[in-house]
Amino acid sequence: MPEESERAPSIRRRLLAFLVPALLLLVGCAVVLSYVLAERAATTAYDRSLLDPALDMAENVRLGANGPQLDMLAQEQEALLYDHEDTLVFQIRDSAGKLIAGVPDLPLAPPLQAEQRPLFFDAVYKGKPLRVAAIRGASGFTVQVGETLNKRHRLVRETLAAEFLPTVLIALASVALAWTVVAHGIAPLGRLRSQLLARSPHDLRPLDERNAPVEIAPAIEAFNHLLCQLRDSNAVQQRFLANASHQLRTPLAALQMHLELLLRRELPGDVHHEIEAMHIATTRATRLANQLLLLAKAEVSAEQARPKSVVNLRTLADVAVQEWVPRAIAREIDLGFELADASIVGDPVLLAESLNNLIDNALRYTPPGGSATVRCGTRLREAFLTVEDSGSGIPEWAHQRVFERFFRIQGTPGEGAGLGLAIVREVADQHAARIVMESTAGSGTRIVLVFSAVGVEASRSSDA
Amino acid sequence: MRILVVEDDPLLATGLKRVLSCSGHAIDCAATGLQADNLLRGAAYELVVLDVGLPDIDGFEVLRRFRQRRMRANVLVLTARDAIEDRVHGLDLGADDYLTKPFAIAEFEARVRALLRRTSAPASALTFRGLTVDTEVKRVKVNDVPVDLTVREWALLELFLARPGRVLSKEQIAQQLVNYDDSLSLNTIEVYVSRLRSKIEAGGVKIRTVRGFGYLWEAEGA
Repeated sequence: MPEESERAPSIRRRLLAFLVPALLLLVGCAVVLSYVLAERAATTAYDRSLLDPALDMAENVRLGANGPQLDMLAQEQEALLYDHEDTLVFQIRDSAGKLIAGVPDLPLAPPLQAEQRPLFFDAVYKGKPLRVAAIRGASGFTVQVGETLNKRHRLVRETLAAEFLPTVLIALASVALAWTVVAHGIAPLGRLRSQLLARSPHDLRPLDERNAPVEIAPAIEAFNHLLCQLRDSNAVQQRFLANASHQLRTPLAALQMHLELLLRRELPGDVHHEIEAMHIATTRATRLANQLLLLAKAEVSAEQARPKSVVNLRTLADVAVQEWVPRAIAREIDLGFELADASIVGDPVLLAESLNNLIDNALRYTPPGGSATVRCGTRLREAFLTVEDSGSGIPEWAHQRVFERFFRIQGTPGEGAGLGLAIVREVADQHAARIVMESTAGSGTRIVLVFSAVGVEASRSSDA
Repeated sequence: MRILVVEDDPLLATGLKRVLSCSGHAIDCAATGLQADNLLRGAAYELVVLDVGLPDIDGFEVLRRFRQRRMRANVLVLTARDAIEDRVHGLDLGADDYLTKPFAIAEFEARVRALLRRTSAPASALTFRGLTVDTEVKRVKVNDVPVDLTVREWALLELFLARPGRVLSKEQIAQQLVNYDDSLSLNTIEVYVSRLRSKIEAGGVKIRTVRGFGYLWEAEGA
């Protein structure tokens, strides 16, 4: 895939990539808005209290002969203008603009219109920003009181701090919440994943979409549709196999029969020899066809195969006795049995073929005069099926490889194609069975299939 | 005896016909299921060799219709499909035996012989190499010398003769002989078998021990 090197898209990351800038923007707006509101509130509140000393001063302005005079003691002025945070200054001028009292260099107010209607404005006094309240007295004099901005700024700061912290906390909480909600929201995906992981590759049953959230359901539905198509193509393959098996075996049967009829005649020695070779080749082709078809059959999905049922391995071995004892006798091999009940859940056809292949191998690779033994039984909730021989054995390096298709140890006599144990493994896989092989070259082979047993109690009681 | 061969593959059909003719039977052939069904309605056969895969109605259907008419001929089913599942189905429908293609002629002949032996009135005297068994008067001769068998030994011999070429398990034998003996342990069976062996094996027949399982009567043919 081309995007392999890039990071895979993540729902969570994408959500956060959208959510975090949006929250930052919102927090920024909230801070600006609170600043504006806090400043307005501070201005209104402190302007009102700044008006009080201005009005007080105006009250104490008397009209004398030389114009208006401030009739107030220095201590009184000081007390009036005292503030523990800010510095207050005042200035009184008459209508002509002459300074009557207070500091001279306080900037002039814009011309005041109405009498007694206060005016507030910002100014700079000795390099410091001031807020100034200005009122006009009855005789046209002006009183201005200026105040530094310390407490106004403090109020804005406090208000901002009081609002900023919760806002940021809410923003952080939103991110955390989004993170966990997404995790919670995609939990069904995790369940879907473990459901898929737990599946055998042969299991093509549709996924359960009943409990799936509506957002995932369409994906599951589409997936199930795919599984359904796979099942259909499997069914087609099964039909093909059944037909192929029939179509292959019938001409092979005819060929074998006519060769055998020919072999019964009086034939010149060399012709007899040739026909015998043809007969052997036919048997080999037949066996190969059978094994290939069986392998293909064992591979098809578990669901397409016949439903599994409770199978007693002992019954399978009982059937195998009839088929294999005459062959063992013909090969002068002592084929013995140690059979106890061993019930498992499985496919009797595939299990029987698996056993056939194990016995076939044992007889093939055991020289005349040797012995082979088939065992089955139950031990510790496990059912086992063992085929053991006194034959040529398998060198250790090949223990794994003998289960591969078409693998044959070089120099092995006989006509096998190397499919027998591949079939055994395929069938074991289908039954979640374990294969244990004990063998060394020259001292025989023991192959054990270990299944999980069913009805241990039942089989034990029938033993007694 | 009259035998019907139902097989659609002409090569196989002629082969089967030739094999059976060699044994001196009268053979009819059918290549389709319907043809077989018609022939089976018209004539009485001792044996029907029936292929499952037929072009029109399959062998199982022919068998079902045949058994519905309560006809008693033996039926040997041939199939090219995978054995066990079809075998169960075929035997359920009333097939007497079953053979998977391809098969050796010798195997086919043995099955046919076994099935025909069932229908033919049991020959009162059976001969296996040097052993002669007269089932009617229950007398046994080994190399023309009469041999006395106990009741249990005779029952055992009959059991083997009824299932030629089959391996009998000790449990099966015990079940069959339980009428003759109340307490029949598997060890007792070993004793009976070894006594029977010592009496008749001089005649060239052999009762093989299948280790851990049972016995096989090895006296195929005569």
